[in-house]
Amino acid sequence: MIQFKNVSKWYGDYRALTDINAGVNKGEVVVVCGPSGSGKSTLIRTVNRLEEIRSGEVLFDGQSVHAKMRSAELNRLRSRIGFVFQSFNLFPHLSALDNVVLSPWRVNRVGRAEARDRAMALLERVGLAERARSYPAQLSGGQQQRVAIARALAMEPPAMLFDEPTSALDPEMVGEVLAVMRGLANDGMTMMCVTHEMSFARDVADRVWFMDAGRVLETGTPDAFFGAPQHPRAQRFLSDLRSR
Amino acid sequence: MLFNTIEIVRDNWLLLLIGQYPNGPLGGIAATLILSVLGIVLAFPLAVLVALARLSRWRMLRLPATALVYIVRGVPLLMIIFWVYFLFPLLIGANVPGFATMLCTLVLYEGTFLSEVVRAGIEALPGGQMDAARALGHSYPRAMRFVILPQALYNMLPSMLSQWVSTIKDTTLGYVINVPELTFAANQINNRLLTKPFEVFLILALTYYVVCFSLTQLATFLERGITTRRAGPPMPAQALVVAQ
Repeated sequence: MIQFKNVSKWYGDYRALTDINAGVNKGEVVVVCGPSGSGKSTLIRTVNRLEEIRSGEVLFDGQSVHAKMRSAELNRLRSRIGFVFQSFNLFPHLSALDNVVLSPWRVNRVGRAEARDRAMALLERVGLAERARSYPAQLSGGQQQRVAIARALAMEPPAMLFDEPTSALDPEMVGEVLAVMRGLANDGMTMMCVTHEMSFARDVADRVWFMDAGRVLETGTPDAFFGAPQHPRAQRFLSDLRSR
Repeated sequence: MLFNTIEIVRDNWLLLLIGQYPNGPLGGIAATLILSVLGIVLAFPLAVLVALARLSRWRMLRLPATALVYIVRGVPLLMIIFWVYFLFPLLIGANVPGFATMLCTLVLYEGTFLSEVVRAGIEALPGGQMDAARALGHSYPRAMRFVILPQALYNMLPSMLSQWVSTIKDTTLGYVINVPELTFAANQINNRLLTKPFEVFLILALTYYVVCFSLTQLATFLERGITTRRAGPPMPAQALVVAQ
């Protein structure tokens, strides 16, 4: 579903990503972890081309994301990739419901009434049907992030990307967001998640990628990665986590 | 002296209010208000267009818009009035009434200043808003229309009111090209009475002050409302305990 082939990226002289080769299969849940500044967020943002790359290729559902293409085509491609941000990025001038309705209605040309019905169903799914009329500022962080997930799901994407979805949340709100993500994973959604929630990685992920300094240093099943990490940097990372 | 002032108002209130209408062109405070309202209303779309051009990634749009802003900002309003007044009839080969001349000048001048307000409003929004809209598949124009501009323009309402106040004060310069607005009316009265300039111009100053002060107050009131709305719900009690 998502393939990285020799992906490299520079910010000026700084090499942010180096020769990334990895892939997420259909129906798979991949958790990307690693220390801050290791390039996790940059990597996930190259999948829908919020970040450009210098060389290599990113394939989404067989389509080369960074190939030269018309902007309409890129927009269509992006509309098929669900993306959830660390800072939610809900549209503050729209109610929770309208946040979910806007894109199917305006981008996919779904009828407004139909978009509304589907949006209500999605808000129900993330447990926020009764807050549909609330504005983002009236919702807690956890509720906002759940609306953001519903908003991404409204485009019926074949895969969802999560860029540190719980890092901006108060600890007591992390659980409700992770529960929604677990539900998605159980329903067979293809997911790529950058997260520091190691319990989520252990329970839900099919594979874990460990990144440092712009490289994917290790990939493996959660059991293998948490039980017996191969790379010394990964061993240090995990022992640092445990000693916290 | 106070008695004189009241007497002058009593004798001339109609002239101050509507000029020589219906026996002549509409003037007085009515003309001032119409000129400033039309000016700001027509300046608004120009301002949005110039701001979007200034933010465009296409040089062909960005450079002329930037040049326009720099030139208009660097030239006194009176110069622009003279240019429009003397050059416009030459260019189109017909006489242009003073009111229309002043209106065109105001639209150009206020539109340019307002465009900087619009641009600041757009740039002040968190970058995540554009990212989120693009990630959902919205094209750049649609993201502007449905996500960025509604927020930016709403946040800008107080600044737009202030710009309206400036516009009202700028209409006084229409006096030099014989636009029959409030200052013109006051000067007519002064020329008739000859010996009461202090009283006449006191009336003029007070009238401008009352109109502009009320609008400034309205802007402050709006600003407070917008700040409250953006802040969202009060901090939950638990968070307060942690903060202490």
